[in-house]
Parts: sequence; structure tokens; C-alpha cells
Amino acid sequence: MLITCTDLLKTYSCEGRMLKAVDSANLTVSKGEFVTILGHSGSGKTTLLSLIGGLTRPDSGTVYIDGIENWQQSDSDLAVMRNRKIGFIFQFASLIPTLTVIENILLPLSFSKSPEGDRGYAMDLLDRVGLADRANNLPGQLSGGQQRRVAIARSFINRPEIILADEPTGDLDEATEDDILALFKEFNQNGVTFLVVTHNRDLAASQQSPRVFNMVQGVLA
Amino acid sequence: MNTGLEKQRNILDYGLMSLWRRKTKNLSVLLVFALVIFLMSSFQFLTGALTDVAQQSLRLAPEITVQKMVAGRQEQIPISYGDKLQEIFGIRRVEPRVWGYHFSTTTGGNITMLGVSSFDPRLETALLHGRLPSGSSAGEVVLGQGVVRDLDLKGRRKFSFFRPELTQKTFTVTGEFKPESELLTADLMVMSIADSRDFFHISETYATDLLVTVANPAEIETIARKIAELLPDTRVVTRPQILKTYNAVFGWRSGFGSVCLLTGLAAFIILAWDKASGMTPEEKREIGILKLLGWQTSDVLAVRFYESFAVSFLALLLGCTLGYVHIAFFDGALFRPVMFGWSVITPHLHLVPVVRFGDVLLVICFTVLPYLAVTIIPAWRAASVPPDSAMR
Repeated sequence: MLITCTDLLKTYSCEGRMLKAVDSANLTVSKGEFVTILGHSGSGKTTLLSLIGGLTRPDSGTVYIDGIENWQQSDSDLAVMRNRKIGFIFQFASLIPTLTVIENILLPLSFSKSPEGDRGYAMDLLDRVGLADRANNLPGQLSGGQQRRVAIARSFINRPEIILADEPTGDLDEATEDDILALFKEFNQNGVTFLVVTHNRDLAASQQSPRVFNMVQGVLA
Repeated sequence: MNTGLEKQRNILDYGLMSLWRRKTKNLSVLLVFALVIFLMSSFQFLTGALTDVAQQSLRLAPEITVQKMVAGRQEQIPISYGDKLQEIFGIRRVEPRVWGYHFSTTTGGNITMLGVSSFDPRLETALLHGRLPSGSSAGEVVLGQGVVRDLDLKGRRKFSFFRPELTQKTFTVTGEFKPESELLTADLMVMSIADSRDFFHISETYATDLLVTVANPAEIETIARKIAELLPDTRVVTRPQILKTYNAVFGWRSGFGSVCLLTGLAAFIILAWDKASGMTPEEKREIGILKLLGWQTSDVLAVRFYESFAVSFLALLLGCTLGYVHIAFFDGALFRPVMFGWSVITPHLHLVPVVRFGDVLLVICFTVLPYLAVTIIPAWRAASVPPDSAMR
């Protein structure tokens, strides 16, 4: 198994009450799978993704990525795992506003090799998301949907094994959404594992053999 | 290339680019920071320069000066005390000196009139031009540059002063002291002891003080102690003591000025802290994104360190250079009133800045280190939280 989550629990304090954002979640994902988690806003999908990606520490339970428990690792090992194994696509604008589009895409390479060596690949990814002509623009000069596409291109730059995506097609028009889903499909067929949380039921249908889960009030079913 | 080095190069690259992207803000910080360092380094360099000048000038000062004290005040000392001093083994020579002050109506300041029985030949080297006075009572004098300015002789060589009982005495200028020695000679008028006695009406059996030369300079303190034991009604001042006093005075003045500057420094540090700790949501989000992409807390800190180091190093370079220029080319104009005192006949000496490693280290400790701390600590706090919370 590439991802194994066991009895994951994450609570937040809200107005003196403890809310269970993720409640006893169990999930296993094999290499090359395309997993979709459907749920309404506030159902705990994003928190679950953060727990799996090692961005948030769970109150209890474990997350294993490729056989290694996330929170048994040192801060630096966890960072290396995030950098090498996982590509993140978040629903908020996650670009550095003062870097150009191409610099944003090359940013994850800072620790492995010279980013300039992969500039060609970065341009190729940018072309795949339809923004080759915007390489030297700043994020502020792009629309929300275009910024999302840049973030998608960036998530693939390190050739990760896993893509964790949170509402990846949220701001996209229909045509662009189709292009992005086609891109996901291609990478998935090449062995990349996808774990996508969304409320878009069509997204799962666009992939070859997705596994679909539902999440309601922190409970995964 | 080594991966670790490559990583550091990339982080450095990112940090420098980040500085450049926020160039207006960083340039403002750099200029204010450089100003603070300039003020502080100026004080340090000026203190060093003045101490150096004092050391150079005091080479010609008497090794031991003996003054008679009565009721805590200085009185004229009998010449016969000199004969007693000759009994102490190790004393080579005892010479009387007669000096006093003449009030200058031009500037409202006092001119120090100093009469000595013989002139140290090395004193010739302190002259800008001319010669030392002869030992007669012909009224020959050598003037310090402050007195030259005060008398405004315009090329004339003769001038007159009124004695205390209002008779006139005429003096002839035979030379002037070099401007470099102004710290000690600015208000000085050196003449033969005969002229000095004549002007102040002091009898030949008395002097203002006695100058003692010892055979072995290493014995100065020992002989000074013996003199104090032999003549308990005298005050014995040694050259090292005078030098210490100068150092203490300049150190005190520098310290006083530095304390005043510390207010400005503190204001700058508070401003820097406020700027850095009040990180904007964009800056916090940037840290969150970097961590999301695999940067470690230490990497984020390294970026902030490189940024802060670049700013503070440039500010240090700029501030210290300006401080040097301020002393070397403008003679520390901003701090002259503090460091030179408020005397009416003030020295106009040209200063050569003395840059000591310790002084630069002190400036670094008071400016660069606090700046690094106040900029890195907030970044560390922001980088220590989980990336998703930094991005909310």
C-alpha cells in the first residue's frame, strides 16, 4: 500500500466545543490508484488531505506513506517526503506572489537539483495547462483559474508518486477542466497515485477506474 | 555540485531575489540602519582618533609633575623642593615650570601661558614652522593654533598682553605648533621661564610646578610613589596617569554620546521588530507555501538569515565607511562639541580615524546582532507552526 490511514482523528476547538473534523478515518490507497473523496463544504475533506500530506498532526491514529509513518519522521525527513513524494494542489491560491509563473513552478526543485536543469520540463507542464505564454507573468497578473493551473503544473514538477488535490477544478471553466482532467488521467496511467477531494461528482467519472468515497461530518464511508 | 551546497546556493538565490523583489522596503531599512551604524561608528572612530592623538602628543609631556597642595588647592612650589627630589635615586633631572592663564578679551577664553627652563629638542618636531624660544626674557613665544586664530595676528610677529597689574609686555612669535597637536597645544603659549616669571610676577624661588625626568621610564610609578612619600604636601602626576585621564574623558564622552544614540538604536530595533513580528498575512502564507513544497523550518530561517545578513552587512559597510569619511574628511564635525568639550578656544585638529577590530565588533554587537535577532525570531515562530495553519 502506498497510503495507509488508520483510525485518524482530528479535532478543533470552536467556541468551547470540540469539533471532530476527521473522525476515525481508515483509508488505504495502492500505487497508481485514483481515489476521489466526495463531500460537502466543511465535511473534513481538506483536513484529511492535510493529515495525509503531513501538514497537520492528527490527535490520534497513523498515516503511513510508502511504509513510513508520517509523524515518526523528523521535521526534515517529513519535509523531504513532502518535497519528493507528494505534489500538492490546494483550493486556495498557493503561489508566491512575488515570483513569476515559471519561478513558482521551479520552486520545489530548490532542494534536489539546479532548477534551471528542469526549465524545459516546467515549460512543457505550463504548455499542458495552457499557460506557456504566461511564464514570465506574476501571479497577480493571472485570473484565479489560471493561478490554479499554475499550481497544478507545479505539483507535477518533482515527478511525485502521489498527487493530493483539493478541489483542483474549482475555478476552471468547462474546457479547461476537461484539459486538466485529461492531464490527470495521463499521469495516472503513467503510475502516479491521485487522492482528490471534491464536491464535483463528474471528476471521478472522468477517470478510468476511480475509487470513490464519501465524507460526511468527518466520517469517511 | 555537492547537494548540500547546491541547496544553500538555491536558498541564497531565493533570499537575494526576495530582497530584490521588496527593494523599496529593504532599501528604506538599509538606509535607516546605515544611519544608525554611521552615528555609532563615528563615535567609536572619533574616540580612537582622539586617544591616538593624545598618545602621540603626550610623548613630549613631562614624565612626572610635582605640584604643591595647600588646603586642597594648588599653590606655588618652592624651588628648594627640587633639591630634596635630587636625593631620590633614579631621578635624572628636576626642572621648574611657571604657568598661568591669561584671559582673552577677544574670545572670552583663557590662554595657557607656559614657561619652561629648558626646551626638549624633540619639541622642535611639534613645530609647524619657526623655532623654539631662547632662554632669555626677550619675550619670544611659540603659539598653538587656537591662540594664533584667537589673536588674529595676520602675519604680524609681535603682540602685547597686559600683566595683572596692567603694565604691558610685548611678545614675539618665533614659531607655531602643528595642527596635529592641537588637542594639547590649541590654547598654549610656550615661552622661557624667565618670561613667564616676568609676566606673572613669580619670584625665582618659586615655580608653579616641578617637572621630573627619570633615568628609566619603567620606574616612573615607583619614583612617583617615592616623591609622594618624601613630599607629602605635594600632588604627583605621572604621564601614564595623564594619558589614562584623557582616555577616561574621551571614553566617558563617547559613552555619554553612545547612550544618547542608543535611544535611536532602540527605536530602530523596535521598528525592525515591529516590522518583522507583525508579519503580513502574505508573508506568513509565503512561509506556509514554502513548507508545503518541502522547505524545512531551518530553510525558511536560512532565507530570512541571508536576507537580514545581506541588509545588515551592507548597512555595516555603508555606515562604517560613512563614519570613516566623517572623521577623516570632516573631522567628526557632528560630534566635535561633545568630544572636544565646550572650551572657547577649541582645537581644530585634523583627525586620522583609528579603526580597531574591537570597535567594529562593538558596533556589530549593538546593531547587527539585535537586527538579526529581531528579524529571524518572528520568522522562526511563523515557520514553526504547521504549514496549513500558516496558510489559513
